[in-house]
Amino acid sequence: MWLLDLGVVQPNRIVSGTGYGLYAATGWLGAGVVSSLLVAAVVLATKPIHNRFWMLALLLTTALMAQPLLLEVFALRKLPEDSEYARIGIGAGFWCLAFFLALMLLETLGQLKASRRLQLSAVLLIVAGWWFCATREGLSSLSLIREYANRADQFTQALAIHLSLSLGAVAISLVLAFGLALAMVRRERLRRPLLGLVSFMQTIPSLALFGLLIAPLGALSAAFPFLQTLGIRGIGWAPAMLALIAYSLLPIMRNTYVALMEVPEPVVDAGRGMGMSERQIFVQVKLPLALPVIIEGVRITTIQAIGLTAVAALIGAGGFGTFIFQGLGQAAMDLVLLGALPTVFLALAADAILSALKFQGASR
Amino acid sequence: MIELKGVTRRFGDVVAVDNIDLTIETGEVCVLVGSSGCGKSTTLRMINRLLPRTSGEILVDGEDINKADPEALRLNMGYAIQSTGLFPHWTVARNIGVVPDLLKWPSRKRDERVNELLTLLGLDPATDAHKYPHQLSGGQAQRVGVARALAGDPNILLMDEPFGALDAITRENLQQEMLRIQRQLNKTTVFVTHDIDEALKLATRIAVMDQGRIIQHDTPEAILRRPASAFVENLIGKGDRGLKLLALRTVGDLMERYPQPRRPEPYSNGVNEADSLRVALSVMVWQNSAELPVFSEAGEEIGTVKREQLLQGGA
Repeated sequence: MWLLDLGVVQPNRIVSGTGYGLYAATGWLGAGVVSSLLVAAVVLATKPIHNRFWMLALLLTTALMAQPLLLEVFALRKLPEDSEYARIGIGAGFWCLAFFLALMLLETLGQLKASRRLQLSAVLLIVAGWWFCATREGLSSLSLIREYANRADQFTQALAIHLSLSLGAVAISLVLAFGLALAMVRRERLRRPLLGLVSFMQTIPSLALFGLLIAPLGALSAAFPFLQTLGIRGIGWAPAMLALIAYSLLPIMRNTYVALMEVPEPVVDAGRGMGMSERQIFVQVKLPLALPVIIEGVRITTIQAIGLTAVAALIGAGGFGTFIFQGLGQAAMDLVLLGALPTVFLALAADAILSALKFQGASR
Repeated sequence: MIELKGVTRRFGDVVAVDNIDLTIETGEVCVLVGSSGCGKSTTLRMINRLLPRTSGEILVDGEDINKADPEALRLNMGYAIQSTGLFPHWTVARNIGVVPDLLKWPSRKRDERVNELLTLLGLDPATDAHKYPHQLSGGQAQRVGVARALAGDPNILLMDEPFGALDAITRENLQQEMLRIQRQLNKTTVFVTHDIDEALKLATRIAVMDQGRIIQHDTPEAILRRPASAFVENLIGKGDRGLKLLALRTVGDLMERYPQPRRPEPYSNGVNEADSLRVALSVMVWQNSAELPVFSEAGEEIGTVKREQLLQGGA
């Protein structure tokens, strides 16, 4: 932690620049604060002090919230004032520190048997802290923020496209997969061919599927011009959407089918014997009992779709993948980060929201 | 009244129920007893149309059940099963309220009914109503199952081995509760069990089934005294038949009553009026006594029961 580079000063966005360790970057004060914080955390974690885990959780949350301030101090001390293009990059030391702090916080919250609400508030506090730091003048020289500032409009657009592509695909597959699962429950015969087909689609590599769809969709849109007015072409959102739906079907369909089949037979028998209609049994008994497993399918699918949408940028679908591939092309790693970080963040947020929903459903 | 006339049920080539005739009078408890696979559950499930019959007629109060809407038919027949089938995602109160809800009772009437049934089955409306099924013991869950079957105040009660999965003590308790509730409510009940002692205890009439046929349909006493075949004789057990007969009658039937109830002597051992003669005999054997004081439920000594009488007139 003390040896790794906390940050990098770059004369412009392409050149890799010079790295600075913790002491070099933030001086005695910064290094002292970070070191004493880590020592305090270790002491709290090992000594039998009353309420130590609560104190530790508080300490770690505050530390994580304030961590970007290190970069601000670094920028203040090391950024050459005369150069317009000079910027600072985030070094491995910064990420490692964040990772260690987060790991300790996770373990501490586990020891406290913290409720989901408490865990969520810790995460929200940290996000708010980073957000607050990122919007301050002091960090405007951070290259990630510079890349963002140059592309603020594109970023918002990419967010909109990314969300609508991935969530749209999940929504459509939810409807489709639910219908298919119901069909399989009704007709046992359909199970093998349907599951086989959908599993087969899952095995095609994503890039290949994106590519494979270009030709037929291109041909279709050439043959029927009205499709072009809808924006359906060989490249763009249409093939991306189709591929995403194809990938999303399996987890939702399999989970829905399994969940509905695993509703205990005596429960259904009792419902029927008491005079519930098949429809009432489905809506009031089978569906609520199956819901946590179905939501789990949706959760897996959503995370997968958010990741795959980044790849879909290759066929011109837009979204955060655009930044990643542009950045790779220009060897500008911070532009790659500008695409990758929000993608990861979206996936984590979807995971958190859908997990919470699942627990809610299960405890009812 | 439930009438089965020439009812047959086939599963493919297998005949599960073979041309049976059975009449269950209003207010009586008919227990179908037999080993597993004898067709007793199939018979029960044909009465509420969970299984269609292959041929024959089933009438409830003179009406063919196939003419009624199956859901409406079942709403008027309480249904309790061995594995309880409680809805795991609903509270006890909501589980019991299923049929009242299906019948669209106003919510106040439903809530009152739920509380009434919880009390009737020895559960506490204040604490148990809001529990989930997984928080209940096996006996409690089965009490809720029975309460749920009674909730819509049905005319008919169908029970498929409801106490089969319980331990002996809990089962005994629930059987006592069942007798008490039946004395209060007088529901026409069809009860399936493989346990002959349970059948003898609960039934007004027993139908012994074997290989899809009814071998004998009679009162518990007649079944014990005059078993119709070697199969029935085996089922009731030859050796302790006398004890089983004693178990059918209470001490109150045979005792000599005092003109006036007396205050019991302190620490005197005796039997209660409601105990079976079998219990009385057991106490006599244990204490080696020829005569026992009999106590009323209020704890007064109201008479005596003599060993001589018990041996001569008991069975």
